[in-house]
Amino acid sequence: VPKPATPRLAAVADGLLDWGLETFVYVPSSHSAPVIRNLLAAGVRAVMANREDEAVAVASGLVLSGRRAAIVMQDNGFGNALTALTTLSLAYHVGLPIVANSRGGLGEYNAMIQSISARVPDLLAAAGVRVFGLGPSDPVPVWRRTVSSAAELAGMQRAPIVTLFDALHPALEVAP
Amino acid sequence: VKRLDALRAIDETVGDHPLVITCGATARELASISRRPSHLPLLDSMGLTSALGLGVALGHPGPVTVIDGDGSLLMGLSVLATLACYAPPNLTVVVLDNGQHASADELESQAARIDLAAAAAGFGLAVRRCADVEELTALLAGRPGADAFALVVAAIEPGNAPGIPLLLADPAVLAATFSAALPSA
Repeated sequence: VPKPATPRLAAVADGLLDWGLETFVYVPSSHSAPVIRNLLAAGVRAVMANREDEAVAVASGLVLSGRRAAIVMQDNGFGNALTALTTLSLAYHVGLPIVANSRGGLGEYNAMIQSISARVPDLLAAAGVRVFGLGPSDPVPVWRRTVSSAAELAGMQRAPIVTLFDALHPALEVAP
Repeated sequence: VKRLDALRAIDETVGDHPLVITCGATARELASISRRPSHLPLLDSMGLTSALGLGVALGHPGPVTVIDGDGSLLMGLSVLATLACYAPPNLTVVVLDNGQHASADELESQAARIDLAAAAAGFGLAVRRCADVEELTALLAGRPGADAFALVVAAIEPGNAPGIPLLLADPAVLAATFSAALPSA
């Protein structure tokens, strides 16, 4: 049974909608699924990709054709996406917002995934991709505003910009 | 069919409609005979050409054509499933199949041993094969309204044209020029 979006995950979708999202490209992830479902429920056109580099290419094509497009994915896919992000989105100055749920931190239940996910912010920084983070200490309105602002910034700076959101942190259960 | 002749035929038939071109010798050879604002050559990003073209076709209302290679398509083969799922009617993907990674010192590609067209058809894609320039031109010219997605696998000779200069364009300029050439941008 699909889980309903928590207020913070709903805020991720709302932030993209606030920005004027027309099409989103996604790679399925259980922790991004509520965001994906909320965007689908809002009537936004969706393209499901099989790999993250494929998602970057499809979304970049949408942006280059003048559309407001974004990617929804999980952070362990940035290994797949790095060549596309650097040689396509960065090199061709494609303003591409990406929202990705982060893994490998507090509340993680997979013993392996931290080996990539914990290093993703450093990997992206080394590749020249800017990253913003959202966690349990950030109130719901901050999640929403950060997502929409990061998307705006990506378009203005003509670069991919990643917003990582932590949907697993145990403190989310007690955060206001 | 020499790749240069296939590229010339595609360029003349597609005209000023958007054309996304795979990297390496293919992009260089096309640039040596034709450069248009509506051309978007990839300078790297092997394996992503058809996915990029799919995005352009989903965002742009008019006809969009992709020139991919057998090696590049094999590198991102999952895009065949995505193309089959979304199949924008305004998109034509032409795969120039020489059975080799011509830009990688002409090493053999797996397309020399497998049937790419049959694989694409297995995904449910409408696939056309062609073996000469006239057939390729007729296939593309017969799609002015671009009313159904099509993937064309065109057999070409192995190897690269001699004396082709490097394509040392600024990708940011290529992208901005391409976007500006699209009416919807």
